[in-house]
This record gives sequence, C-alpha cells and structure tokens, in this order.
Amino acid sequence: MKYALYLGCTVQSDQYGFEASVRETLPKLGVELVDMDDVSCCGFPALSSVSVTGWHYLSARNLAIAEKMGLDVLPLCNGCHLSFIETIHALEADPGLKEIVNRNLEKEGLHYEGTAKVVHLIEVLHDVVGVEGISEKVKTRLEGVKLAAHPGCHAIRPSDLQKVDDAENPQKLDTLIKALGAETFDYPEKIDCCGSQLAVSSGRSTLKIAGEKLQAVQSYGFDGLVTTCPFCFKMYDGRQRAIKGAIGDRSLEVPVFYYTQILGLALGSSPEKLGLQMNQSPVDGVVNKILGDDE
Amino acid sequence: MGKPVLVIGGGVAGIQAALDLADRGLKVHLVEKSPSIGGVMAQLDKTFPTMDCSICILAPKMIECFRHPNITIHTLSKVTGVSGGPGDFKVKVLKEPRSVDASKCTGCGVCSEKCPTKVKDEWQEGLTERKAIHIMFPQAVPLIACIDRDNCLYFQKGICQVCSKVCQAGAIDYEQKAEEIDLDVSSIIVATGFQEYDPSELGEYGYSRFEDVITAKEFERLVCASGPTGGHLNRPSDGKLAHRVAFVQCVGSRSHQKGYPFCSSVCCMYATKEAVLIKEHEPASDVTIFYMDLKVFGQGFQEFVDRAQSHWGVKYIRGRPGEIRRNPVTKDLTVWYENTDTGEVAEKEVDLVVLCTTMISRPENKELADVLGLELDEWGFFEPLDPVMNPIETDKPGIFICGCCHGPRDIPESVAEASGTAACAAETARRYGQ
Amino acid sequence: MSSDVDQREVEFISLMLQKSVGEMHAEVCDQCGKCSSACPVSKEIEGFNPRQLIARVALGKMDELLADEAIWTCTTCLKCRERCPEEISPYDVILVLRNLAYRAGLNYPGGYDDFINGILERGFISEPQEVRARGGGKLSRGALGLPGVKGPKDMGVFRGIVEKIIEAGKGN
Repeated sequence: MKYALYLGCTVQSDQYGFEASVRETLPKLGVELVDMDDVSCCGFPALSSVSVTGWHYLSARNLAIAEKMGLDVLPLCNGCHLSFIETIHALEADPGLKEIVNRNLEKEGLHYEGTAKVVHLIEVLHDVVGVEGISEKVKTRLEGVKLAAHPGCHAIRPSDLQKVDDAENPQKLDTLIKALGAETFDYPEKIDCCGSQLAVSSGRSTLKIAGEKLQAVQSYGFDGLVTTCPFCFKMYDGRQRAIKGAIGDRSLEVPVFYYTQILGLALGSSPEKLGLQMNQSPVDGVVNKILGDDE
Repeated sequence: MGKPVLVIGGGVAGIQAALDLADRGLKVHLVEKSPSIGGVMAQLDKTFPTMDCSICILAPKMIECFRHPNITIHTLSKVTGVSGGPGDFKVKVLKEPRSVDASKCTGCGVCSEKCPTKVKDEWQEGLTERKAIHIMFPQAVPLIACIDRDNCLYFQKGICQVCSKVCQAGAIDYEQKAEEIDLDVSSIIVATGFQEYDPSELGEYGYSRFEDVITAKEFERLVCASGPTGGHLNRPSDGKLAHRVAFVQCVGSRSHQKGYPFCSSVCCMYATKEAVLIKEHEPASDVTIFYMDLKVFGQGFQEFVDRAQSHWGVKYIRGRPGEIRRNPVTKDLTVWYENTDTGEVAEKEVDLVVLCTTMISRPENKELADVLGLELDEWGFFEPLDPVMNPIETDKPGIFICGCCHGPRDIPESVAEASGTAACAAETARRYGQ
Repeated sequence: MSSDVDQREVEFISLMLQKSVGEMHAEVCDQCGKCSSACPVSKEIEGFNPRQLIARVALGKMDELLADEAIWTCTTCLKCRERCPEEISPYDVILVLRNLAYRAGLNYPGGYDDFINGILERGFISEPQEVRARGGGKLSRGALGLPGVKGPKDMGVFRGIVEKIIEAGKGN
C-alpha cells in the first residue's frame, strides 16, 4: 500500500499536528506515504466559487503529479478529497474542459489522463488496512473512552460520486474507533455540517452551527469528538473558545481529536509525535486516561 | 357456454372478476399464490372514503368465491406455463403442498397454538410472530392451516410433529407433495396486484434504523383491531402510545433520484384515512400530514379531506421533510420540514412516523409476463393494449389485466376494472365456445 | 502581473457558464422543500433558503440573485445535493450563481481575494505558520520534524496560467 500524500493548504499551514499523526501511524500499519513535489492548492473552496475552470485546473494539476508518480493519491482534507473526485468527474464528462486543462498543464510539464485514483483516509484505514489490521497492532486499548465519530460532509456526500461511506448512516469511522477498543454509538447529529465553509461570509452563524453539534456531543456523554478533516477540526478545536462565546455556553468542553491521533496513542506512539500539543481543545484528560492504562 | 376462465391473483380485483364470471354461468379457476385469497385489502383496517371496515366488506365476497359452485380456488399456486390462444389456452399450474388435508382440516387452530416454532408474521407486516403451522389470518379463505416448511422443525430437522399429535381431525399430512395441474381455459385475467416500496434506501428517513418509522401497510396492521396491538397505537420500539403522529407523503414516488418518478395515486387518500383513524381512536392526538400536493380526484375524496381538516383537526403542511431524526434517549422522532406555504423552516417532534410508500410492481410479474408472453413497462407493471382506449386488454388476445398489476390505483377502480375484464373474458368464452 | 488571456478559454468559459445555467433545471423543481428543511444555514440565517433560491432562478430573477449576498452563505454541506428528488442540487446552482456574480463584478466576500492572492503568490491559500501549543510555547513544522513545503516548481508559469484562467472567466 503506497500512496502519494497530498497535504492541502490547511494541513501544511497550521493543522500539521494531523500531518504528524498521519506520518507517525500509517507506516506502522504498512502504508507507505510518498511526498509530492510541485503541488498547489486544490482550489476548493478558494477558486470554485469564482472560477470553476480555475478550480478544476488546480485539482487536475495535483492529480497529474500523482499520475506522473504512478501512484494513487491520499489527500488529508475532506475538502481536497471531494475536490479531486469532482474534478475527475468533470473532466471525464467534458472533453472540452479536459482539453483546456491539458493545454495549460503542458506549460507546466504535466499531463492529466485520469489514471490516478483518489482515496480517503477512512477508506485506507477501514477498507485497505482493515479493522483486524489495526486492532492486531493496538498496544494500548482505549478502554472506557467514549468518542463521537464525525466523518464530515465532504467525506460522505454526495453519494453519486463518493463511495467512502454511506451518506445517511456512515459507520466506518465508528468501526475504526471501536477497533482501538474505544466505545462509540450513533447520535442524531453525526452527519451534520461543521459549518466552516460559512466562515468566509458569516462568522457568527458558523460558530452557532458548530456549537449546536458540540453541545449535542457533550450532552450524550461522549469523552470527545473524532474527525478526519482539518476544516472540521479547526472549527471544533481551534475555535471552540469562540464558539462558547457565540452560543453563550460557558460549560462547553469537548476534546477534539484527529482519528490518527487516537490511533497513534493506541499503537503506542507518544503524544508529541502525534501533534497532540497542537490541539486547542481540552484533550489532556482523555490522553492521560488513555496513557494511564499503559502498563 | 364456453370453457372456464383463469383468474391469476386472489385479491379484491381477482375476486370480483371471478364472481362476475361465475354469476353469469362460467366456470372460473382462481389461482392465488399465498395460502388464502384476500390480498392487500384484507390487511387494511378501513377503506376510503367510506371508512368501511375493509375485511368486513371483503370477507362476504371471499366466502362467496369459496362457496360458488362455478369457482375453484387454487391457493399456494402459481401459473408456470401457458400455450395456445383465446378460446384455447393450455395452462400449467404448480400447487405447493399445504401439508394439511383440506378435506379434513376444520380450521380450529390448535395446531398453531401448540407449534413451538415462531416466525415473523408477514401478513402482520412483521410486527408480530406466527407459528410455522398457521392459518394466514382469522378470515382466511380457505380457513385451512398451512405449514411453512422452511421453518418447520419436522421438515428441517425431522423432529417435533406436535401438530399431527394434537390435530383432532387428523388433517396433518407431511407427505403431501407439490402438484402440477393442467387447465384448459378460454381466457386469462391477470390480477396480481402490487407490492409496497421498501423505503430503506431513503436513509434520511431512517426506515429500518428507527423502529418507530413505519410504512403505511405496517400502520394499517398497527391500527387494526385484529393487529398485533389490538388496534392500540403502541409504537414498535417501546410500546409507548403514539399521540403525535406524522405522515410523510410521496415516499418512493415523484422522484428521479431514488424510488420512482410516478405518483402512487392513492397515498393522499390513504394518509387522510389513516389520520382520521387515529383521530377516531383518540380525538386529542396530534396528527400532521406532510404533503406535496393533495391528489384527491375521486368521488367524495375532496370532501373527505376537507372533513379531515375541519371536523377532525388533521393538520396538513405542504413540505416534503428533509430529514427524520431519533432522540437516542426518548426514542421520539423529529421531522425536519419547511412549511412551503409560509416559508417557515422548522422541526416537529412526534412519537411515530408513517411513511406513505409507493405502490410498486411485484417481482413475480417478470416471470408471469414471460409465461404469458406479455410486455412489462419500465417499472415492471403489465402494459395495456392501449393506455387510453383499451386499458384492460393486452396485446395478447384473450389475456386481460385489472387492478394494481398494471399500476397504482384504488379499490373502486380495481373493482370496476375487474368487472370490465370479466365482461371481456365472458365475450371471449362466448365467441370461442361451442 | 500581466496575463496572456486565451480567447479560446474566454469562449469556453462563457459557453460552459451558459450551459451550466441551462442545466440548472430550476423549472423542474417541485418546490417540495426537502432541501430547505435539511439545510443547516436556512435554520440559522433568515435570508437563506435554497428552495426559494431555485424558485427565483426559475422565475428568471437572475440579476437580483447575483447581487444577493445570500448566494455566498451556503456552507457546502451537500445535504440538498444528496437528497433533491429531482436531482437539481441547489448547491451546484449556487456555485454557478457565484461564478456569474464574480464575473459580473458584483460584491463577494473579501476572503476570496485573500485566497486568490495566496494562490497566485505561493500556490497555496496560506503559508506555514508557527502555532501556539496548548501548554504554551510555539511550534513549527520544523519543530515537529516535518518537511518543508514546496509549491509549484515554476511559480511564474503557474501564476500566469491561473491568473489568465481567472481573467478569462471575467469575460475579458
């Protein structure tokens, strides 16, 4: 299992705790990650709203780079993942668009044919490595820890293009959480949006949308929230204080993790290697509980 | 007079066609694949717009079929081969073994009482259980027990045989075999009915994940006095009495995405009927129907809906719900909707949600169409010779269609069509007879 | 920054936008309300309702729509796209409207300019930053042992292409 690792703007700029945890854990599961050169932003949502062609160009050039490397590409951001999938679909459906894209890619010494496939982190972990592949490597079971799964909108919708998980009843991230010995259960708000794409136009509403979900998660007795998307994470984790203020709930306290961070703890990696020092939400309690069980 | 007529399907349409033909002196073979005639109408609580007890108005006709000297009912039977043409169809019918001697069984039900094996009861829409040996429902015609061999301990493991020990009439016959019979008929009437769309694929509604999101047919059994709860609205998950009920229209219909694009024709009326049933049981209950349009064209239908609103207080909100959620603690359901008349985006908490599902074609239509040499449309319904001028004839002379086998329609229409096909069949018998 | 706008691209984008407008199929909308009832933004913000948006498109109120800031408040959750029974997808319609609004030189949230400038300058919307650790102190990619970030090999060529495509989208 070898993939071209596509970081995306958010991960490489400030969510590199996620990156650290991915680089630390995936090789332990037999997944080889190869860095990509020459890449750029995927274009979503930066360019898609103002120039669809420009957006597809940006995604296509990154796919073309993976093609050149002869590898399938693993993006670390839900948004980038959806962007690549939509671009593959758009270029297949419109030969004219593909022609324009390639005409320009040529100037950059690249070519897009569509042979590089895109995988999602959840797919790699659940479908490729598999639950057994993970649980047999678990050194520290996350006993007694209840975590809420938040796969994120752009991992599961739209179901006509994405086959990562069921759009209305996604269960793969739950299964992955359980593979570590932790507990999880369905909750009504699981497939709700974090609202982060709204931030660019309406900051306050974003915080309220995100806040409702965090309040729900807390009310069900979860010890924390787990996600695989840096946009979602940034909202729930990085902006939790602002969310508390916006919804006027001083008691809101939800530890937020990237899945690969708790995966790393279960596999025996130290918190620093997993970028846990970068989580802004109050994760120490859960982390100590997990590590406290380590004999 | 003419040769007998074959009627395939023992629901209300098949029953009506058989009676019309028999009353004018023709012999009829009524072939039904389940252990009893009656079809879906026997499962309903009441009929619209009259609010008659469904089985009460159907049972007399079922019994008439049974007693009529000109009608032979073949249950547990299906048509496996047809050759020939009008006036002279050679038909092969396969009868599955009931494992009970029909001439001896008195329908007393003791075998069923003592049978140790419980199975989901399909006739009660899976809401309760029956035994491996069972009588399909209390008003079944014929009122004879039947062994479900797939679940019977004797047939699966060679043990038990309690039923034959307790049967006072000595009617149990484990040796009974499948039988193939040959029929010689002048014409064939197809009246095989419909099946309910399975809304599991509409994940946003939570059917099959949330026990208290049920289909219309499940609701009919729930609210019916002969149902698993004796007609009390005890919801499936925790038995809580449902005071607040939401009906969701157009589930599986009017959709180019999942489900079917057509309108299922009867759902606006049956939702209203079911809503009124709830109100009749408990006037203080809170009943809301979430609809797109109210397609209530038939005789007395608009007045029926008007009364539901003005007299019974059933609420109608124009808006197709976007999502249904379940509260993990209380199990109560929340329906997300927009009242498109006012633009209000809101949520409504209810105890029970009824999905008004589409009537779709039966999968057996495919096999039957092949046997009969008939065409099915893209949704598996039988095609008429001409949808406007010859809606109950097919392109095979001597073969006629009525009822829901060729698309969604209500009971009055199905009955009228049944009489129409009976007239066609009688004419065919006359023309080719003697 | 100069750009060499390609006329073929100008034409292509114009045609593509026209086609997209034609494919919005707003007239097929039954106004059922499934999209709006599932939409997280319509529950939160008074002026945003995807069903009404499609109605306005069907009624031909394009000029009014393009100037409405509502079209910039979709959170791209895709629930409407997932569930619309007529496969209209208000989300995709909104994307086209945004493109048209930008093209028409109408108002849009300033954040998009920052994104675009970032991409043109370094290939990404943002550049690696130092981040404050939860317990205090600052972290950087290097401190975590992570490789440096490299953008497009030839920024000049890359910038030229992207700029030109954006310009072509403006119809110039």
